[in-house]
Amino acid sequence: MSRHAALPARIPLTGADCFLRAFDAEIARFNGASHLSQLVLRLGPGFDARRLRKLVHEAAAAQPILRAPVRRRYGLGAPYYNLSEATQRPLPAVDVHELEAPPADAGFPALFAQRMNERHPLRRGDLLRFDAVRYAGGTAGTDLAMTWQHLLFDGSGSERFVRWLDECFRGEQRPGVLPNPMEFDPPGAPPRSLGERGAAARAWQAWLEGFGSHPPQSLAGPRRRTPQRLEWDLQTLAESDTERVVAEAGRRAGFLTPMLYYLALAIRAHHAVARARRLVPGSYLVPLPVNLRPRGAEGAIFRTHVSLLWFRALPEQVEDLDRLISTLKEQRLAAIKARQIENGIDAMGFARFAPTRLYATMARRAFGGELCSFFFAFTGEFLGGLDRFLGAEIRNAFHVAPVPPSPGSCAAMSLRSGRLNVTHVRQRGVFSEAEQALFRASLRADFGCGS
Amino acid sequence: MSDWSLETLIEQVHGILRDEILSVENGFSPESNLIEAGLDSLAVTQLMLSIEERTGVWVDESLLTPENLQTSVTLATLVYAQLRSA
Repeated sequence: MSRHAALPARIPLTGADCFLRAFDAEIARFNGASHLSQLVLRLGPGFDARRLRKLVHEAAAAQPILRAPVRRRYGLGAPYYNLSEATQRPLPAVDVHELEAPPADAGFPALFAQRMNERHPLRRGDLLRFDAVRYAGGTAGTDLAMTWQHLLFDGSGSERFVRWLDECFRGEQRPGVLPNPMEFDPPGAPPRSLGERGAAARAWQAWLEGFGSHPPQSLAGPRRRTPQRLEWDLQTLAESDTERVVAEAGRRAGFLTPMLYYLALAIRAHHAVARARRLVPGSYLVPLPVNLRPRGAEGAIFRTHVSLLWFRALPEQVEDLDRLISTLKEQRLAAIKARQIENGIDAMGFARFAPTRLYATMARRAFGGELCSFFFAFTGEFLGGLDRFLGAEIRNAFHVAPVPPSPGSCAAMSLRSGRLNVTHVRQRGVFSEAEQALFRASLRADFGCGS
Repeated sequence: MSDWSLETLIEQVHGILRDEILSVENGFSPESNLIEAGLDSLAVTQLMLSIEERTGVWVDESLLTPENLQTSVTLATLVYAQLRSA
């Protein structure tokens, strides 16, 4: 644990951060928004909003990365959080909004989706904000969204930060003391020469470029210059359905690799919509984030520590679910054998020194204008073991992942209190109402829940 | 039928986990719970690749049930069964 005084004036971005910064730069330039993530909590009565504001402000005072501008000296070199400038930046906003009653359809406030489409410039240290929507003064519950620049935390780090806030509330942590953002860097092999790392990065790049032989086509189609208008909805499965689905995922894809089952279902849901449009993409190409941590470590709060595994399914491999899962399993194994997780870390490491939008430009060039077919994440148990947040029962909790207007669709899945949550984030207009219904119906049918 | 005995396999599995894959304390034994010791999806794949390298047998991940992944002993028993049927 470290206090502000012990921190360096500059904290370098990880390679993965730079990857995400490339998305942010792309979205800022062409779509007028930022690459933001959201963690959403549906809370019961008793939430202490005033205490949240106090805790967040104490945390930001103690840990300047929470509002530190991201800079790059003279536009060159590796970018970094400039901690010495952070104290001149405003504290993260914690806004409370009052509504008389929860939405009749049990949906979430439109404000949350609106927040996903705002500009949060990295250069200004505008990295984090909270919005609490209280119903009937909080007596009918509160919906809370933490929105952040998707490099301040990765998905797992955001969960750790929320846990930490609640530990402070319960007096188990001191708000003025936060884990050092440098607490660990991605684990890797022993130090290697520049030449070896270069070869690894080139292997990863060649792997990616190989996917260009069957270029993906997202449901958004390559659309680069369009205002970002993300919206999202949530499907939550019943406990009995979830129990069956989780067992099925373990049986078909493996107890420790159920994400391949969920990924297969997400591919099939997108395929159902493509088929209805008579669209035959060269392939479905999807990156899957792989969380990295040193052996035995719990994980970091700050900065992103991920690599990417890429999966490709040809349209003819999608119809038969067993064949699709088997294809994904083979690809995962081949990629791990070829050390593509480690190669990805090296490639992202080099990206730290490259022009900001290099990765996005290279990917779009290799994939016929697309970044991929859609984004996907399965994060397992969400905030497992945390039943209350700042005095209120957590009734549901999930992640709203970012996605650029093209590919324009992201399916994020996680488990909360024995129920599967599926958050579908999409660019407005990419899915017609009928297509959204088809997308949901495909997932529900594959989950065995009927339509 | 291979030359591997169950005892040797248990030693191998335990050794790979202890020395190469997990970060564990001295008390880590062949009977220790693997999930509690930090075995995750990437670690288990790395373990299976190591086992394949040594024995020539690949254990499909769909066979890795919570019961089989409980300890080094249960895992080695699964590999042993696969070896016998190979």
